[in-house]
Amino acid sequence: MRASDSHEVSQLNELKIDVGALSFVAHYVLAGDIIMCEQMPILGGYAGGLEETTIVDVATTLNAFLMTQAHWHLDGPIHVRWGITTAREVLAVAGHCARAIEENTHLLLGNQYYTLAGPCTVMCLLETAAQSITDTASGRELVSGVASAKGVATNYTTAMEARFMGEVAHAVAGMDLEKVNGILDELVGMYETQYKTAPKGKTFNECYDLVRLTPSDEYMQVYKEAWGILNKLGLKY
Amino acid sequence: MSNVPKVGVFEAYARATTGPRVPEKDWDYKIIPQAASRLKEKYGIKMDKRKMIPTDENLINNLFRAGMEMLVECGVYCMDTGRVIKYTEEEVWTAVKNAPRCLTLGEGRDSRELKGRRYDDSRPPIIQGGPTGAPVAEQDFVAMHEAYAREPIVDTIVDGVMQTINGYDPRPNTPFEIAAVKNEAMMIRLAQVRAGRPGMGL
Repeated sequence: MRASDSHEVSQLNELKIDVGALSFVAHYVLAGDIIMCEQMPILGGYAGGLEETTIVDVATTLNAFLMTQAHWHLDGPIHVRWGITTAREVLAVAGHCARAIEENTHLLLGNQYYTLAGPCTVMCLLETAAQSITDTASGRELVSGVASAKGVATNYTTAMEARFMGEVAHAVAGMDLEKVNGILDELVGMYETQYKTAPKGKTFNECYDLVRLTPSDEYMQVYKEAWGILNKLGLKY
Repeated sequence: MSNVPKVGVFEAYARATTGPRVPEKDWDYKIIPQAASRLKEKYGIKMDKRKMIPTDENLINNLFRAGMEMLVECGVYCMDTGRVIKYTEEEVWTAVKNAPRCLTLGEGRDSRELKGRRYDDSRPPIIQGGPTGAPVAEQDFVAMHEAYAREPIVDTIVDGVMQTINGYDPRPNTPFEIAAVKNEAMMIRLAQVRAGRPGMGL
């Protein structure tokens, strides 16, 4: 890796660290590397509910720049029941934390994406869109994803989800916040009733021509359908 | 705002060896939840989960004050030493003041500037595309990452985790873990080169 790549270190839940993490931060510091400190506060974990988790998220974000000498912070509030970053409550944690930090500091903030549904499904793309809207309209500087299908199944991630995350971020940047909140409320409402039946989707190998590295016609149709839904909500790209 | 010396990783470790001792169970089940709950009450914080991005300046600033107080009051627990790393608020502000406002990810024509933006900024965030730590089959690792690097809207890559290395399980704290991590970095760089973006950040 180059010094200009992001060198990762993770904090532990909640407000915890181990010596191993500090040791490789020492290496990053002495090598002059860019340091990215990651942390995923758990909603419904040690901290408690919505407000308590957000308070802990603010605290650990600040700690990243002190203890691990981070150049930028990668958040990822996660729901204890579903293991995702796209549920309504954790989007609220991320949105509130980012606004609190951005309003009071100049710190560089990112967020990472874990959806419940997998590639080549409308639900996966709508989950991705909701988080991309939240992150962009709360002032984050970087969006990082997508670990589709909760990021636990082999090859259940594709570049199409990243394309969607990016296009939505570009589309929503600069939009009025009242309008954004209205879109978000409606958008999340479209998928949050489907958690128990969320589709796992298809693998990279099923979604792409592996020689040309182009997405399948089926995925292009799903992609178009998801954008159609966002268009109706008032988002254009 | 603050002229106190900067606390970095070395001072943090030193404090992890001398700070107050706390049983880990007390940290997890008493200190963290009780502090968070008390600060929620102290600052009167009430969030509406139907309004995911707040517009109330009072709520926004109270969340910041509560988070700052949480960090200063509790500190950070070091699991290996069983001690708490404590800071003052001035030390936190020194770290904030010294944090970068802008940095360059990657090199040359493929690099991207990561710089501050506001919630109402018409400039989009940096788009970092990739499997984000999800497992990827060894034989598909380069192709999958090349597909991300080929996306024009993707600025930098966040990698997946190679499921095997030469067919072996890269179990933590084994030689295969080291081999897998080094191969991941090399294969992602290869994927970026194949996509014609050799300077792209990772």
